Amino acid sequence: MRGVRAQQTGSAGRRTNSGAGRVLVAVYGIFALAATARAGVQLITRFEEAPLAYVLSAVAGLIYIVATITLARGTRASRRLALIAIIIELIGVVTVGTLSVIDQEAFPRATVWSVYGIGYGFVPLVLPILGLAWLWHTRPHAPQPVEGRG
Amino acid sequence: MIDALAYTVVALAGVGVLWGIVTAIANKPPGKAQLLYAGGLEAVTVVQSILAAVKIIGGFRPVELATTIGYLIGIAILIPIAWLWANVERNRFSGIVLAVAALAVLAMTLRLLVLWTPAG
Repeated sequence: MRGVRAQQTGSAGRRTNSGAGRVLVAVYGIFALAATARAGVQLITRFEEAPLAYVLSAVAGLIYIVATITLARGTRASRRLALIAIIIELIGVVTVGTLSVIDQEAFPRATVWSVYGIGYGFVPLVLPILGLAWLWHTRPHAPQPVEGRG
Repeated sequence: MIDALAYTVVALAGVGVLWGIVTAIANKPPGKAQLLYAGGLEAVTVVQSILAAVKIIGGFRPVELATTIGYLIGIAILIPIAWLWANVERNRFSGIVLAVAALAVLAMTLRLLVLWTPAG
């Protein structure tokens, strides 16, 4: 049982891509699509209007893509990448959200993280918190013996 | 885009969202009827995107052309992807996955209605 599970997931913990995790991956996937497409349009059609905001849009899109794929894979290595991506995502949405409130000059055009994701019902602010909670919830239960993963 | 068709998509997607939530609360995977319904929603959505594409090819220019095209493609691919993703592991969360996709289609269609104004 345990062996089979380890073989499937490469992890002793619960899979990030199972149960409620499938919903999380679906939401991340939608934001990967939305942020990347939005950034693509912005960078191609009017980069000069707000270079900083649009580059950050593209970075946000990339982070969502990484989080989507790593959470969907659910292996031990991908968990680590997911954790890094989601931490960057949280820092990003809080930083860009705050900057967009304080200094509207720097963010004349909305990005996915502007005003903490107000254009997307604040889901961009809630999503990394849910992501971190889910990684914690599905964490491996006990340290694994030092060996190659299954 | 045809307004009546867009509002039909919005209404159908709204029912899809509720249906997904209901099956999740009932702790059941989506049944055959629900999956067929998602297929029907997809069909109407695709017709809408094709009609809009025909109008754009015919010379109509919405204010934000690139964004509009992105949305027209986006609404057409979301349901099939969610459908496949929901069917890999069938349980109560499959319904929520379908609901999330339907909600995205609903929101994007409402946004398209706003975007669909001729460029001045």
